[in-house]
Amino acid sequence: MEEFRFIDLEVHTAFENMAIDEAIMLAIKDHKAPPTLRLYRWNPSAVSIGTFQGMTDEVDVSFCESNNIDYIRRITGGGAVFHDYEGEITYSIIMPRDHNLAKADIIDSYKLLCGGIIKALDHLGIKGEFKPINDVNAGGKKVSGNAMTRRHQCVLQHGTVLLDLDVNLMFTILKVPQEKISDKMIADVKERVTSIRDILDREVQIEELQEALTVGFSKALDLDLKPGRLSDEEQKTATQLAKEKYSTQEWNLSR
Amino acid sequence: MKESSYKIPGGKLVKIKLLVSSERITDVKILGDFFLHPEEVLMEIEESLVGQARNESSITRAVNQVLTDSEATLIGCTAADIAKSILMAWDSSSSHD
Repeated sequence: MEEFRFIDLEVHTAFENMAIDEAIMLAIKDHKAPPTLRLYRWNPSAVSIGTFQGMTDEVDVSFCESNNIDYIRRITGGGAVFHDYEGEITYSIIMPRDHNLAKADIIDSYKLLCGGIIKALDHLGIKGEFKPINDVNAGGKKVSGNAMTRRHQCVLQHGTVLLDLDVNLMFTILKVPQEKISDKMIADVKERVTSIRDILDREVQIEELQEALTVGFSKALDLDLKPGRLSDEEQKTATQLAKEKYSTQEWNLSR
Repeated sequence: MKESSYKIPGGKLVKIKLLVSSERITDVKILGDFFLHPEEVLMEIEESLVGQARNESSITRAVNQVLTDSEATLIGCTAADIAKSILMAWDSSSSHD
């Protein structure tokens, strides 16, 4: 069994959430924090983009600003994600690069860590499967997107599990690539993306998904989850990163 | 500014923003939902392409050279995909700006 600190479901702003993930990496790098699993939500709802994406290419920034939706650049690659406060849970798993659960091969690493999502879905009675590079599908449709970085001598993987999906709102926030636009656009997305409530056809509550993710990660990765919180130093670093990096236009609009 | 957007079959989306002067790249930004480890290497790739002519294999080689030198891993797209995207942008009509 691998002992992990477990920071159970918390609610933060986009800037705090991304800052906390990086603060934990920095603490682990300095041997001041244990491997960690976090569950979190975003309030206000927010859109995150991959580190190589262009903010104004991907996101309708003025719509976000007039509708109290934050927008943020992640330190991980991958695509744009809408983190609806009512419609998803995000997790992050952070460990040193030489940890047993940190595979050298990137795809192997996604596959291993996404095992936690698949077990969580299983706990809810849903059959999920890993879809390389970085997705988990159910019934052939994406229900979870994940992204990894290997900075600060750590492996960080964070990802979202969709509880609910408002395709119309998603399209309003995200600028859809020209070549994907068609009359059937929304129908097409509904063919490719799903949510736990869609699959189970009932009002699955956040707490149920929270419980499933906790069980899923601990079973799939054989984790001994020790409830914990950020150290004062991590909290201080996170506050600083949120203020000086993640909430700045310099970072968010850098590409 | 010349732009392209290329959805790689079975891969990710690569977007290019390109400035060309006297048949040479003067500035290029490679954007998209691919992965690159370490991430900072993307800026080195972009810098290494300044001065390149419109030659797909030479651009591919330049990208691969940086990847090798930096021991970097590109996932969801290849050096050849980036080169192809750059040529797509090069051959597009410039957008107004």
